[in-house]
Formats: sequence, structure tokens, C-alpha cells
Amino acid sequence: MADVAERISAGARVTALPRRRSLGSVVRKWVTTTDHKLIGHLYLMTSFGFFLIAGVMALLIRAELAEPGLQVVNEEVYNQLFTMHGTIMLLLFATPLFVGFANEIVPIQIGAPDVAFPRLNMFSFWLFLFGGLITISAFLTPGGAADFGWTGYAPLSNEVRSPGVGGDLWIMGLWMAGLGTILGAVNFVTTIITLRAPGMTMFRMPIFTWNVLVTSILVLIAFPILAATLLMLEADRALGAHVFDAANGGPLLWQHLFWFFGHPEVYIIALPFFGIITEILPVFSRKPIFGYVGLVAATLSIGALSIAVWAHHMFVTGAVNLPFFSFMTFLIAVPTGVKFFNWIGTMWGGSISFDTPMLWSVGFLVTFLFGGLTGVILASPALDYQLSDSYFVVAHFHYVVFGTVVFAMFAGFYYWWPKMTGRMLDEKLGKLHFWLLFIGFHTTFLVQHWLGVEGLPRRYATYGANEGFTTMNQISTVGAMLLGISMLPFFYNLYKSRRAPLVGVDDPWGWGRSLEWATSSPPPRHNFEKLPRIRSESPAFDLHHPAVAMAEYPDSGAPRDNLLDAGEDQGRVENLERNAGTESST
Amino acid sequence: MGSNGTPGVVRAAGLKRARAAVRPAKRRLLVATSVAVGTLVLTGCSSETTEQWKRLGLPEGATDRTEAMRSLWIGAWIAALIIGVLTWGLILYASIRYRRRNEDAPRQTRYNLPLEVLYTLAPFAVIGVLFFYTVENGNKITHMSDNPSHTINVVGQQWQWTFNYKETVDGKEGVWETGTLDKPAELWLPVNESVHFDLTSPDVIHSFWVPSFYFKLDVIPGRTNKLELTPTKTGTFAGKCAELCGLYHSRMVFTVKVVTADEYQAHLRELAAKGQTGAATGGQDATTIPGHGKQEGEK
Amino acid sequence: MKAEAWVFGLLTLFVLIVTPIYWLMSKDPTGTTALVMTFFLSLLVAYYLAITGRRMDARPEDRKEAEIMDGAGELGFFPPYSWWPLYCALTLSVIVLGLVFGWWLFIIGTGLGIVTLSGWVFEYYRGDHAH
Repeated sequence: MADVAERISAGARVTALPRRRSLGSVVRKWVTTTDHKLIGHLYLMTSFGFFLIAGVMALLIRAELAEPGLQVVNEEVYNQLFTMHGTIMLLLFATPLFVGFANEIVPIQIGAPDVAFPRLNMFSFWLFLFGGLITISAFLTPGGAADFGWTGYAPLSNEVRSPGVGGDLWIMGLWMAGLGTILGAVNFVTTIITLRAPGMTMFRMPIFTWNVLVTSILVLIAFPILAATLLMLEADRALGAHVFDAANGGPLLWQHLFWFFGHPEVYIIALPFFGIITEILPVFSRKPIFGYVGLVAATLSIGALSIAVWAHHMFVTGAVNLPFFSFMTFLIAVPTGVKFFNWIGTMWGGSISFDTPMLWSVGFLVTFLFGGLTGVILASPALDYQLSDSYFVVAHFHYVVFGTVVFAMFAGFYYWWPKMTGRMLDEKLGKLHFWLLFIGFHTTFLVQHWLGVEGLPRRYATYGANEGFTTMNQISTVGAMLLGISMLPFFYNLYKSRRAPLVGVDDPWGWGRSLEWATSSPPPRHNFEKLPRIRSESPAFDLHHPAVAMAEYPDSGAPRDNLLDAGEDQGRVENLERNAGTESST
Repeated sequence: MGSNGTPGVVRAAGLKRARAAVRPAKRRLLVATSVAVGTLVLTGCSSETTEQWKRLGLPEGATDRTEAMRSLWIGAWIAALIIGVLTWGLILYASIRYRRRNEDAPRQTRYNLPLEVLYTLAPFAVIGVLFFYTVENGNKITHMSDNPSHTINVVGQQWQWTFNYKETVDGKEGVWETGTLDKPAELWLPVNESVHFDLTSPDVIHSFWVPSFYFKLDVIPGRTNKLELTPTKTGTFAGKCAELCGLYHSRMVFTVKVVTADEYQAHLRELAAKGQTGAATGGQDATTIPGHGKQEGEK
Repeated sequence: MKAEAWVFGLLTLFVLIVTPIYWLMSKDPTGTTALVMTFFLSLLVAYYLAITGRRMDARPEDRKEAEIMDGAGELGFFPPYSWWPLYCALTLSVIVLGLVFGWWLFIIGTGLGIVTLSGWVFEYYRGDHAH
């Protein structure tokens, strides 16, 4: 086995960490770094910061809705709050969070020393950070932040209906952050195509890496459309262009373009997090992932279908083809169902232990399932005549997006924390965190389904006292406060983990499968001192537990020369036998 | 390079036994909480609206179109909940049945082709049925007749509704009524007579929603959206703007009064008597470039 | 490179099938244009990967029985650290704010941008790295 250090150029070795670090050198190290792991840290910390900011906005929104009438904020501020809450959560939290996790994990999972374009990677981060800051800096302007909804529908977002510099900052900030996302996607696609370790064929890549690849392709398809659309809107506002004028059919043009970006965006923030869950379930069920090829196919199908469903957000405009979009949307239920059954199949017959990452993963399964079911209901235009733009939709997409992004984010934090920092997070606090958040979340959002069906539109700052919405809104608000409180054990956990003992092993969970568990925690600058031979999608497991891995053949009822459908395990048996031999001798 | 994972297994296993004792208590807490929350929800609403629960939250339908939506809504939920309960059941069963009991490696199953094919193909049947009923009921809901009894031009405008009744009242072509932020507009409709609506907006996108009619349609500047329905129940219903339209979006509400044909005609005459005749459609923003038309608000 | 090409190839195929159906059903020019552009985007990548793959031997990461040793040697150049991404992003921020606040800012940003972009591009062609 070759030393990876030999495979990379001399230039890369300059960064041996200095022994004594002054504040200046620490800052210099962080702002000039090209190390994908540090950049990953920066992404995760920054996007989590945005998550907290937008979370506080959500609490203000919920506080306002606890009673009919206006108590906490006025309509102007309320509109800014939900606009920025949506914008930040989707574009400055969930999307860069995907980039963060991908940065931390993907190069290690494919046995690469770094991403393909390290400087571009750092550039992407700065674009995201500065773009994000420009977007939220609008709160400091006299007119306040953008208040036309995160969807920015024209003509409400034009210079006549939404004058003020806040809208311009929103447009240009998002354009800049979006450019960062595009460059990040270019980086991941290139890295995955060109920097895999020898033997790491495409069908031996962990599912998380597969999902990042598909996600990145979706970014390349969707985000340029967003960028162009935002620039056209800015041209309307600043240069007096008339792209989105109502007389030109601008309102529908905007919606088509926005949702052509917007729907793939939903999957951009879902697929990587499905990938995190798919990484965690096998480790804590002590079984290989069930139906690897089926999962890859499902991911590719979801990616492809997500391009052709955009106008299901526009059913009640009365201007789109209903059967086409309804049918394509229903179709997405099929690969999503396949994923579900593969996840359950992975747990089935396993030896499951509910360590914190697993707890969050099962929490994800339970929550996301309900979001998926209401998604199928919303795919029916006939039902959308009642449900669209109501709190039912709000509840649905929080079940989907919160259920996926936040649950899987915490699952990923607890799972990869030892890999990223070398220290474990506290399990007890992690479980307390989970249960508080789980109960808080469902209390907040379950009742909102009924609010919507009964007739509460979304984005309403207030509602009538006699409409019968008060009780449910109060339940929802109480849940939201609990949700907010659930962050406290997490913060304490972070604080506490600074002094937790170093794990000191490659794989603290014991049954890790992919390559990140075959290097130290945290990994060295260029990730590997030594790479194991890669003969399957779980090289670390093959190295550490060859005898168990060998049992996959009789247990799956497969001949030894044809385990995976495509014969992708060629040479695996010999490798396992060799690993078993070396392990018993040491 | 660090050591490989074997020590981790032993360590993790030790921790696990210690933690196992804490779990049942937590689960009881969860059950208790969910029961408490559930009761709260049920008692909060059930006394007056048990009927509403039978419609799974929908308000009482008040037009000839609502039955199509109601049956699809109930049917879709039955299908969704069957699938949901099955899947939740599988997740919970697996979580409990396959809890770690010892350190033996479980059966290392990687795939089961027939099973995977089955659960890939089976959902097609479900979505096929759903799609069929969606199209069928959707067509019922949006069906347009050739000669509706009444035509009303609904104008959504920041932040109030204007209703133009296209009828000849006392020799005048058309009467209209509108509202203010403090006194929202009223839309009067005759019961059991078909009404055709033209939705237009002079400024931004609004959405015309009457929850009891189970129907909303966007009101888009530069475009005329159409819908038709026949109210089947007299009474007063809430109407709302469902698409964000700016500052006072949440105050852009209206009241629907479904009345007998006589009362309807009387109301129109009343409007005509007030001099609210002709048509009030707002400014010209939607049809002119670049927004140099007359300002909105010309009623 | 075959599998990589196929990922994009399948996407191309999907869009190829869906686009005409969508056009015939909806006659919507906006969505159809976007789909056609998606088609060319994925076709471009699929074609490039397929052609590149055909022109070269299977790489170690394409071979199922490759040893880690097979990938030994220079893998590429990985800059150890760099100030230029920060500088470039800062100047782009100035340009972006220029679009919002005024053309003078935009012009200053563009001027700075030429400097920072050159700095980035030529970072490894000067100083210690000069040829």
C-alpha cells in the first residue's frame, strides 16, 4: 500500500501545523486554509449560525401568532421575518450545510487527499459567507429587509411594490451565495469523478457520496437558473428593464423560473441528508446497507424526476398543465418509497443499538414519512385548491425539510463528531436534546395541518379571534418554544465535549463501513497515512471485520463470485481472507 | 495511523448496558406527553365540531363542487394512512424486535431481489389509482358550463377586494361593491344558482380563497382566471387572500353571504341605489408598460 | 469513466423523453426552454466524459482489482494555503454592493477585482514559484 503522502506534491506538505499558535496565526490559518476539513468546519459553523438566527425569527413569528391580533411585531416586521426565515433556512442554512457535510466527508470517503480545487473551495465559502451577510444586512437599512416572501414573486418584488434597498440586498446577496453553491458543486462533481482512490469504482462509493454527486448535478442544473432570474429581477429594479412586468406575463415567467430552481432545491437539501441517514443505519444495525444498487437507482431517479415537477407549486395559478405535473410528482413517491423500504430493510434482522446518531435517524424516518405522505396528498391538484398556500403546506414542508435537514444534521453531528474533532459528544445530553426537539417539533407542526385545512392561509400576521384558530396556534407556539429550548442541551454538549477524552481510534463506533473510519480521528492534513485495499463499498469494515463481511455471502444467498448485482465485489473475497489472516497474526 | 476499530466495539458495548435501564422511563414520558397533547387537541375542538373531524378537518362544504374534493380528500387520506401505519409499524417493529441483545453479529443480508422488485412496483398501483381519481375529481371541480346564471368580476387589489356583479340592475349595466381595511368587502351570492367568476388584479398576485368552497385560484395581474360554482347552502362564509400581496396581506379578507335569489337581487338594487354602478377594476398597471398608468384606487 | 458518463447520460435521456411530452402537453415556452437547456448541459458533460473515457485506459479508480499502489505518484497540486480566495470574494462583494448602492462602488470593485483575480491566477507563477 502506497503512502498517500507520496502521491501528493511537495507543496502540500508545507502546512505541517505550527507547534505554538498565537491568535494571529490561528486566524491566519482559518482564513487562508485550503484544507477541505477546515473549510467543512467553517461551512458547518457558519450555516449553523444562520440556522440559529432564522430559528430566533421563527420563534418571533410563533410568538406573534399565539394570539389573534398584533402583539409582538407589526405587519411590516412580520413580513420581513417570514421572508428572511425562509430565505435563510433554505439558502443560507440547509444548502451550505450540505456543502459543509460534503466537504467534511466526501474526500475521505473516496480516499482523496483533498477536493479537486482547494482554493475554489475556500472561495465558495467566502461567497456564501459574504453573500449571506449582505442578505441579512438588509435588516440594518432604513426600509428593513426584503418582505416579499422567500419566493420573491413578481410583481410584488419589483421596484414599485417593494421599494427600498433591502430587496436589492436580498437579490444580490443570494446571487452571490448561489454562485458559491454552484462553484462548490463543480468542485464535488470533479472530485468524485477524478480523485477516487484506486479500486474505488463508482459502485463502491458510499451512498452519501453518491447522493452528494447527484445533489451537485442538481445544483448545476438549478442554481444557474436562480442566478439568472435574480439578475433579471435586479435589472428590472435597478436598470428599469421590464422582464417581469405583468403586461409581459411576468408573474408567471417568474414563477416558472423560480420553481424550476425551487423544486430541485428541495431535493438539493434532502438528498445529502438521506445520504447521512443511509450511512448511519448500517453502522448501528450492524448490517450492510440493504439494496445498495436499488438505493443508487432511487437517488438517480429522484434527481431526474425533481427536474420535471416544478409547477406543482403553481397548481392554483390556473396556468399550468395539471396532469403532467401531478403525475410526475406522484412518480417521485416511488423511488422515495424504495429508499424507505431499503432503510427498514437495513434495520430488519439487525442488532440495533440506539446510540444518539441512530436515535436521530429513526426520528428522521418517523417524521419524514409523514411529510412524504402529505406530499403525495399535495401532489393532487384537486386537493391543492383547498390546501395550497395554507398552513397545511407550511406543516408539510416543515415535516419534509425540518424532518430531513435538521434531524439528519444532528444525526450527522453526533455520528461524525469524533471524526471531525477527535472527541465524542455526550450521549445522555444527545438523547435529551433529541427528545426535547422531537416532541417540540411535532407539537409545533402537527396541528398546523388542521389549521391549513380549516382555512388559515400562510404568511398571515394575524387571524380572527372568532375563527377557531387560537387554540391550535397556541399549541403550535408552545411546541416552538420547546423546540427552541431543545438547543440548550446541545450547546452544553458542545461546551462539554471540548474536554472530553480523545477517542484515539479510527472507528469509535466499532462497525464503521466507509473509508473515513479507516483513518485517524481527526484525519491528518491529507486524510490518510495509509489506505486499505478497496474491494467493496465498505473498505473500512472489510479491514476491521473481515470474518463478518465474509458472512454476507452465505447470508445473502449469493455465490462468492457474484455478490452485488454488477459483480462489483470482484476480488473482495481474497481481500477478506487476506485481512482475516493479517488480523489474526497481529 | 490509529488502531483499528475493535477496541471501540468493546467500549461501546459497555456503555450500552449502562444506558439500557434509563430508556423505558423516557419512553413512558414520551407516551404520556403525546397522550396529553392529543387530549388537549381533541377536547379543544371536539365539543362543537365532531362533524369536522369526520371530514378530517375540512370545513363544511357549501357548493356543488365540494363533494368531489371531500371524497378525494378522505380517500387519499385512507390510502396514505394505510401506507403510513404499515411503514411506521415496520419501523417501530424493527426498532423493538431487533434491539441489540448480544454482541453476536446479525445475519448480514445485503439484498433480496424479489422483495425489492415488489416494493418498487407496488407503489405504481397506488399512485395510478390516486392519479386517476385526481384527474377525474379535478375535472369535476373545474368544469365550466356554457351559460352560467351570474357572472362576477372579482378584483383583488392591495389590500381589498372589489366585486363587480355583471348584471343589469334598474337599467344600469353592472353594480359593484368594495371594502376597506377596516370594513372588508362582502360578496353576495344567490343560493343554487351557478356563478361564473373572472379574477383580475391591477397590481400584484392575490389568491381568491373561500375555505368552505374548498377552492382557491390565484388572481394574477395581466391575466384573467376563471372559475365557476353553485353555492348550495345559505349562510355567511369567510373569504381570504391566500397569496402574499404585501404589507396588509393578512387583512385582505372578505365575507361571502350566500342568500336566496330575492335577497340577492335586493342587495344588487341597494348597491345600484348607492350609485355603485359600472365597473371598478382598479388601475392599469397590469396592462401597460412600464407602470405609468393611472394610479390604483380609482373606484 | 463509463459509469460517470452514464450518470449524465441517463439524465440526458430522461430530459430528452420528458421535454417533448411537456411541450406537447403544456405549450409552455419557459419550462420547455429550461428543459432544453438542461438537456444540453447534461449532454455536454456526458459526451465529454464518454469521449475522455474512450481515449484513455481505465484509471485505477475504474478498475475493480486496482491496488492502492497503482495510484502512486503525483496526484495533482494542492495549494497549502492561499489568501486569494478571501481577496477575490471581498472584491466581488464590493462589486455586488456596487450594483445595489451605486456605480462608483461597482467601478472600484471591478478595478480591485482585476488585481485580486490576477493574484489568484498567477499565485503559483511568481515569487518562490517563478519559473
